[in-house]
Amino acid sequence: MSAAQWGGASALFLASAVEWVEAFTIVLAVALTIGWRRASSAAAAALAVIALLIAVTGVGLEAAQADVERIRAAIGILLLLFGLRWYVKAIRRFAGRTALHDETREFAATRGQLEQAESRAAWIVAFKGVLLEGLEVWLLVVALGRTLSYVAAAGSAVAALVAVISVGLALKAPLTRVPENTLKYMVACAILAFGSYWGLGGIVGERAAWPPGDITLVLLFAVYAVAGRIIARAARMQGSGKPAQARA
Amino acid sequence: MRKLLQLVFGDARNVASVAVALLAAYGISRIAPAASGAVLVLVLIAAAAVQAF
Repeated sequence: MSAAQWGGASALFLASAVEWVEAFTIVLAVALTIGWRRASSAAAAALAVIALLIAVTGVGLEAAQADVERIRAAIGILLLLFGLRWYVKAIRRFAGRTALHDETREFAATRGQLEQAESRAAWIVAFKGVLLEGLEVWLLVVALGRTLSYVAAAGSAVAALVAVISVGLALKAPLTRVPENTLKYMVACAILAFGSYWGLGGIVGERAAWPPGDITLVLLFAVYAVAGRIIARAARMQGSGKPAQARA
Repeated sequence: MRKLLQLVFGDARNVASVAVALLAAYGISRIAPAASGAVLVLVLIAAAAVQAF
């Protein structure tokens, strides 16, 4: 694989890991209420839906012999939409404008919801949680699958899932030690870098838009990373004293 | 379906930000292609700053 493909696979691995950490936290809370067997079956059912989506969309993409440049542009725009959303959320969290995502609080909240719920409702909570997080992984796999190779993209997502489950089971506790916002911020910068490179490159031509070539990806990542921290610092200074707000 | 669309596209501000950035970069590319990338990045960062504040 080229350096750009390795970068794409790494970004996908990290982005998937973030989503799987959130899903695993929900499953963990449900498992302590209704048992590991039921919680695992809910997670497995949701993962089966995601796997089916990945398989079906992979076949569809292979069947469509469309123009590579147009596909690259579409993928880039999708990544820009996805990346900008994560980028803004992470900056707001660094700035204290949005409350940090707290796995311990999510864990406690999920358990609280389940105290009086029937086991079927608990199963649905686990299923829905894994499905929603998995849908985000599916979007990333579809977005990066064509350029990276669909098998490599899906493999990165599966590797992230295995890694999170292994680490989670080893810790046997909510995954509060994972610095989620920092991870999300780095992933957002990487997604924005790839989105910018492929999105604009697909529209006006890669060599025309990015004369330095692949090395531009590293520069784009650095620019987004530095700029985001400057924005976060400025927002924190301006908004000090204001309470953090929830933001979807 | 609504949740899925939101996952893909984000909110209206997010879509508008990306659209404006791409349109600005495309416009510049007609005059100075090598500057289009810088325009895209600057507009996206400005959009992120507006949304962050």
